[in-house]
Amino acid sequence: MKFKDYYETLGIERGERDEEIKKAYRRLARQYHPDISKEPGAEDRFKEISEAYETLSDPEKRQAYDGLGRHHPGEEFRPPPEWDARFWQGQAHQEVDLSELFEQMGFRTSQRRRQAGGAEFPIRGQDLEVVARLTLDEVARGTQVTLERPGGNVRIRVPMGVTDGERLRIPGRGGPGSGGGPDGDVYIHIQLLPHPLFRPVGHDLYLELPVTPWEAALGAEIELPTLDGRVRVTVKPGAQAGQKLRLAGKGLPMRGGGGGDLYGVLQLVMPKEFSEREQELYRELATESSFQPRPQFTGGTTRG
Amino acid sequence: MADDLLILVDAEAPVESAELLAASGLAQEELVELVEFGVFETSDGVAGWSFQARAVHQARRAVKLRDTFGLNPPGMALALTYLEKIEALEQRLRELECLLPR
Repeated sequence: MKFKDYYETLGIERGERDEEIKKAYRRLARQYHPDISKEPGAEDRFKEISEAYETLSDPEKRQAYDGLGRHHPGEEFRPPPEWDARFWQGQAHQEVDLSELFEQMGFRTSQRRRQAGGAEFPIRGQDLEVVARLTLDEVARGTQVTLERPGGNVRIRVPMGVTDGERLRIPGRGGPGSGGGPDGDVYIHIQLLPHPLFRPVGHDLYLELPVTPWEAALGAEIELPTLDGRVRVTVKPGAQAGQKLRLAGKGLPMRGGGGGDLYGVLQLVMPKEFSEREQELYRELATESSFQPRPQFTGGTTRG
Repeated sequence: MADDLLILVDAEAPVESAELLAASGLAQEELVELVEFGVFETSDGVAGWSFQARAVHQARRAVKLRDTFGLNPPGMALALTYLEKIEALEQRLRELECLLPR
């Protein structure tokens, strides 16, 4: 079993008082709670913090944890032999995680208490939560994700039509319940991986569409990529930067049929260097054109 | 690997009170207060209230915040309202960012 230093996780000394443990937990929870922090890795950090707090805030578990002695984090160690009998009946040689051990410990103790009192009451199975990081192509076509579940992995079909941030639930397919309690649920949190070209907003997709000044001036036929192949679009003469070209239904598909839209956002781009001939043509244009780009500046003063 | 393929249920299917409470770990009195604050939209179900499927995710979120920060129902209602507002703003921000050159 790999050792985890719960005190180090909470940034406190061994032998610290209970109030200090609670304080340390609260401070870190505010910093790393996944609903508050958008830092990468915050969710994993929060899980570690919660795991450490769950063990150290329970006097019985803390005592047992302290009994394990001091090891380096990640170091392989064997729990004392009597632990097998106490907390981990019949599965002594199976590879377990320290957190599972402590979870089991609380569970067994409460179960024992319950049995002592006679009736065993139903306990709902554990929920399983996974984050599925999917590409745009995967959500556009529908995909499968594999979920690690105690007692065997399962594949989950993710239908097309899901979007970034969406949470899906499959009732009754999580961990098994006990004492007649229902099974837990499965929760999948969809996160879209960044795409080099398309930026998703809900079911719509945005695509930056760079055009030259002459394409914007004269109009052009431009070929652009979509999720299902290339299409040709027409840029009308006199096109403006920031203008959106809408391709209806070319966004991400929606569950009920149809799809979001794809927007090409026009961006006027200039070469950085101009040849002699190009400069000459621009000079000619400058003399010829009567276009006034800053009419709002003329006549008035800066005092408005 | 078990070849058990799970298929999602209809995401629009309504959820009854009892299921919402069991799935989230929210207490009945807490749910009543959160409904009074307007956090959840309700309609009449077979036995009492019925909720939209997304209420399960909201309720679970409320419970996690409650357990981590020791919130009472007014605190949960406030936190949820702010989080949803922030998310709506983030969505709007993403939309506007898409209109700007990278």
